[in-house]
Amino acid sequence: MAGNFWQSSHYQQWLLDKQDLIRERQHDLAILPEDEYQKIFIFFSSVIQTLGEQLKLRQQVIATATVYFKRFYARNSLKCIDPLLLAPTCIFLASKVEEFGVISNTRLITTCQTVIKNKFGYAYTQEFPYRTNHILECEFYLLENLDCCLIVYQPYRPLLQLVQDMGHEEQLLTLAWRIVNDSLRTDLSLLYPPYQIAIGCLQIACVILQKDQKGWFAELNVDIEKIQEIARYIINLFELWKTYDEKKEIQGLLAKMPKPKPAPQR
Amino acid sequence: MTCLMMDYEFKMKTQTERVKVEDLFDYEGCKVGRGTYGHVYKGRRKDGSDSKDYALKQIEGTGLSMSACREIALLRELKHNNVINLIRVFLSHNDRKVWLLFDFAEHDLWHIIKFHRAAKASKKPVMVPKGMVKSLLYQILDGIHYLHSNWVLHRDLKPANILVMGEGPERGRVKIADMGFARLFNAPLKPLADLDPVVVTFWYRAPELLLGARHYTKAIDIWAIGCIFAELLTSEPIFHCRQEDIKTSNPYHHDQLDRIFNVMGFPHEKDWEDIKKMPEHPTLLKDFKKANYVNCSLIKYMDRHKIKPDSKAFHLLQKLLLMDPNKRITSEQAMQDPYFAEDPLPTQDVFAGCPIPYPKREFLTDDDQDEKSDTKRQNQQQQQQQQQTQQQQQQPSQQQQSNQQDSHNSAKRVRLSGPQGHPGQVNQQQIPISQQQEFHQQQMMYNNGSQQQQQNFQQRF
Repeated sequence: MAGNFWQSSHYQQWLLDKQDLIRERQHDLAILPEDEYQKIFIFFSSVIQTLGEQLKLRQQVIATATVYFKRFYARNSLKCIDPLLLAPTCIFLASKVEEFGVISNTRLITTCQTVIKNKFGYAYTQEFPYRTNHILECEFYLLENLDCCLIVYQPYRPLLQLVQDMGHEEQLLTLAWRIVNDSLRTDLSLLYPPYQIAIGCLQIACVILQKDQKGWFAELNVDIEKIQEIARYIINLFELWKTYDEKKEIQGLLAKMPKPKPAPQR
Repeated sequence: MTCLMMDYEFKMKTQTERVKVEDLFDYEGCKVGRGTYGHVYKGRRKDGSDSKDYALKQIEGTGLSMSACREIALLRELKHNNVINLIRVFLSHNDRKVWLLFDFAEHDLWHIIKFHRAAKASKKPVMVPKGMVKSLLYQILDGIHYLHSNWVLHRDLKPANILVMGEGPERGRVKIADMGFARLFNAPLKPLADLDPVVVTFWYRAPELLLGARHYTKAIDIWAIGCIFAELLTSEPIFHCRQEDIKTSNPYHHDQLDRIFNVMGFPHEKDWEDIKKMPEHPTLLKDFKKANYVNCSLIKYMDRHKIKPDSKAFHLLQKLLLMDPNKRITSEQAMQDPYFAEDPLPTQDVFAGCPIPYPKREFLTDDDQDEKSDTKRQNQQQQQQQQQTQQQQQQPSQQQQSNQQDSHNSAKRVRLSGPQGHPGQVNQQQIPISQQQEFHQQQMMYNNGSQQQQQNFQQRF
């Protein structure tokens, strides 16, 4: 569906306010400082990305799954559902919504097992603990918490149009595309419309490639302040990456992360 | 370390907040539809907060199939007066059933056309406003134009999927339903092989699909609308064809193509240049002889059914039913057609305030899954029809009142979110009461019998 973004549930229900987001996360942020909280989401974005690539999904599907994941935890604490279960569930649901085709249950579980073992062994020492029935149960909870809003608009399509308009350049598109992928590691998809994210990512790509496109950007009918805010999020992410060694830190962060609690003992 | 997947407190909290469909609605024993999509029930709110009828669709199978996901995902976003409105989704965790809640539509074109055929066969009059077919077509085009401009293709348009609202604030409004959500864009025919053969019909399939086109297109939906338009004008499926051996997964269907050529004539290469590129073109050349269809044309076919070739309706039909999909008219162009500017103008209430002659939906019992009780039903229909005719003759003033009510009641729509109504709607005009009475008194008294045959087509329906 390439319908009207301004009438979509994405625009009307799922562009959140920064202050709301902070309020919703209070419980988790009492346990994890903001940079650690973000590091956990960077990690699970990578899990979703790697799972998706292993399952040969298009980037659009992977991005949609990532947004589902972020939307769920924008409304719920990390303790509500183990993110290691929610991540593949988001992939499973997104692949159906994006008409990619249904991933068979066994293939999904097998892929989770191999990906966790081979690619994320530095985070999890034990094997992937969940089975199909867990994913299916989790899927219902996910759909409920998303309020059935499943169509997600992504920055990729506007990005293609923008780059084309600028005078198509392969190198620029490739870099900007990767920056859009990186933006999935931030809160941007919860806060800004996708076309603005596309412009922000394109601007950073131009700066990195030292292309002077100030005139072109000036002619865009867009709130420049918002674009600067978006660019700031991306730059902050790059700054964080400079000093962050995920392989060393992630086990400690996952241990610290709030966990589901069982029924109270009688 | 054993992983606990879900927090107990979270689970309990969601469970308490979750509303069960059976707690909210009464629908037991009220099944009104059964198909490959699942079961549809007519339901009422238990708490009596409103006395409206609702349609509850229990999706076939358990859990979230891809078609269920697509249906929920798209319907959640679509908002148009002529597209079925998804009010709510219920997930039943115990039996893993998915329920969708819609406004209830009392009628559909399958039942409406069937009613007219039965009346025609028994030479009983049916009274409907002169512009009804036009209003129906206009609203179908309006809904499809909305879907197409959102890049949603219906992929399974047929009379059964065109609903019409009964009495109430949305009286006589078309609702397009049951989009072919599951069909993969790049493999249009594959899933059909798995469906119940009885339900699959090739009558509304565009010639390019039958010749192996690999993609669904907007033009394919337009062809189906052309078929429906013709069927509304004549009460006969224009490309009616025996439906045996339909379980084949091969798109090529000899008898159906034969039927199309028998009505339309064999396509000239100059009319459809790309026909050579169709995957099944060689089979076509092998199986068919142009010479067998030299005397066939849409003009002749429609003329036999009393639709004059110089009428605006015929001209529009011809543009909808062009064999070459590239030349077929778009929904947007079709809505601008002179047919809709000609009197009678299309109305928002397709019944234009006149009494609705069609029976209400009947409840199905579990062993009466498909429509088998035809004889019984026909009798009922005729009775009901007679009653209504009498009523209509006796109580014109009452109708007038309800007309006024209708025009004052702007359609109320319950929605999960978003703005009300649709600002882009063009056909806002309400028939003035005086004109309605005129319909009622003059044109409505149409008799399907032979003495009236010289009357123009609108009155035939």
